[in-house]
Amino acid sequence: MHRSRTTMPVLVSAVLALAASTACSAPGSTSSSGGDTSGPLKIAVVNAQSGQLSSLGQWEWKGAKLAADEWNAKGGINGRQIELGLFDDQGDPTVGTNLARKISSEGFVAMIGTAESAVTVAMIPILQQSKIPNITSGQSPAIAAAKSPFAFYNGPTSDTYDETLAQYLVDRKGAKNIALISNNGSYGKGEKEAFTKALADRGITPVDDQVVTTDQKDFSAALTAVRQKAPDALFVGAEEVAAGLIVKQARELGITATIAGAAPMGTPVYLETAGAANAEGTVVSSPYLSNETDDASRAFAKAYQGAHGEEAELHGAKAYDGANIVFTALMNSNGATGQALADAIRATKYDGLLGNFEFDESGVGIHTTSIGVITAGRLVAESAG
Amino acid sequence: MEVFFQTLVGGLGFGAVYALVAMGFSIVYRTMGLVNFAHGQVVMIGAYAASTFYMSARLPFFVAIPVAMLVTGMIGLVIERVLRPLENKDFDLMLIGTIGFGMVLEAVATIIWGATGHAVPSPVDTEPLDVFGIRIRTYSLVVLAIAALATVALVLFLQRTKRGAAMQAVAMDHEAATAVGIHVGRSNAVAFAIGAGLAALAGALVAPMLYVNPTLGGSLGIKGFAAAILGGFGNIQGAIVGGLAIGVLDSYLAGRFQAYSELVVFLVFTVVIMIKPTGLFGERTVNRA
Repeated sequence: MHRSRTTMPVLVSAVLALAASTACSAPGSTSSSGGDTSGPLKIAVVNAQSGQLSSLGQWEWKGAKLAADEWNAKGGINGRQIELGLFDDQGDPTVGTNLARKISSEGFVAMIGTAESAVTVAMIPILQQSKIPNITSGQSPAIAAAKSPFAFYNGPTSDTYDETLAQYLVDRKGAKNIALISNNGSYGKGEKEAFTKALADRGITPVDDQVVTTDQKDFSAALTAVRQKAPDALFVGAEEVAAGLIVKQARELGITATIAGAAPMGTPVYLETAGAANAEGTVVSSPYLSNETDDASRAFAKAYQGAHGEEAELHGAKAYDGANIVFTALMNSNGATGQALADAIRATKYDGLLGNFEFDESGVGIHTTSIGVITAGRLVAESAG
Repeated sequence: MEVFFQTLVGGLGFGAVYALVAMGFSIVYRTMGLVNFAHGQVVMIGAYAASTFYMSARLPFFVAIPVAMLVTGMIGLVIERVLRPLENKDFDLMLIGTIGFGMVLEAVATIIWGATGHAVPSPVDTEPLDVFGIRIRTYSLVVLAIAALATVALVLFLQRTKRGAAMQAVAMDHEAATAVGIHVGRSNAVAFAIGAGLAALAGALVAPMLYVNPTLGGSLGIKGFAAAILGGFGNIQGAIVGGLAIGVLDSYLAGRFQAYSELVVFLVFTVVIMIKPTGLFGERTVNRA
């Protein structure tokens, strides 16, 4: 009696769950396949839309969407419309690999994303096997190390970011006592290695090198150790939120060193999490410092504002460049797929918001970044020289 | 020495929050014998609610907290009401039900507040205190004080009030309690509401220390759950000790083992539980499974 009453909810929920899962997979499993040469060109955008990294994912999506809308408004690629498919990887490599299988079975010709190096690295083998070119916003050198001819970066790697940073801190500002704190995620590891190498090239050994976990919330132990070394500069290798928390706690512990890092520290999320006062003076290495650099960035920022009702920033710009490169390659190759499309991307020379893209064998297209300093709550370009 | 004390101070601040989360787990377990797996997500909703009242509705932070506690208290009542028909009939389904509620709450948070999350400015804006070179965040002191007050209030409620005594009676023997006219369902509802209110308190207090997003409940829930087990599930004092222990342990091991600290925390936890499966203050008040 009780049994039958209580098993009902389970049955109902099981049926609902089944219904929901089939409903979700329905749109992707329509009949259009890869071999089609007249229908829309299907491009997958894979990025975190939920979880702690979802700010990144949403900026990326907005940038890619803007590029696709602009191309479609002008008639698409050789008359074919661009159809973007958005997939949420939740910032999780396991989810990413499942999505890689999904997009390869659903006739997507190329992939834009992800902003997460760890997810990109996890997806590379499957994308390579199914010959789907992928342009990522990740910056870990681990992506190039995978040596897939189908993997491209839409921005510089950590090596570039951190070389510029070391140039500024050591060569220009004369910092000698430099401490490092990085997390053990794919991005943090890449940053740590790249910056340590840039310092080593200048004959400098960090006075302290702390590694924290990606899930850590209290950094007292690591930061107290750093404080005892009284460094001139503290390099932070972590994503937006984590970097914000580290810097907030560092200032609370009385660390007065110049804070330095790469792209995540130029974002509003970092600024909010750390608090404007704590973030003040942060030195940021980034290929895209402002929406006011030139006509192209002004036009992009205006269109972005119009389409999404918010201010453009680095990740939107990166994804916009990345999407435009893929679309240009598709146009130049007349809708090629697989190896031919990868070759076309590699051959694409593109003057983008981040700089002039010219891809090398490892899939890196851009090799310079600039230095910005957070001043009065805004990232301001540091004058050269 | 400096590192030792600074780490202790940092660990205690987060430990107090884990203790509050653990208390929420324990009060429900104590009365119903049920682990509420949606508890972490209620913490997250509490964090969102408090920060929204604080930042958008511009309520003072310490007014926003009780309002958020009322909101999550209502959620607690709803969860209990939905699960009530299963009480004493199918325990497994009740557990599964709480897991389902957790997922629903996470989805609801994403619908209401979006997936991106927000940072919450600290409500206490004074410089950290400097005691012999150890920096103590004033906000951490506030958190510790509020956690202590909440504990005292809860213990007094359970030991000194009629409703509290009734809940204790239900915990010991729900059939006998029913026989003497105690409404078991209502008693459970109160336990759920208090548990959810504590969750909001923990979430609201931790919001300015972290970043509020829909997945916040996951990691806090796990740490709080571990704290509750370590203290002896169902034991309120145990929850406090467990919470502070996990916070401090976490903090020290992070300094010692750096990238492997998470792993080592749970390894230590596993060893303690293997040696003393009932936790540090282990007692089994209820077993209705």
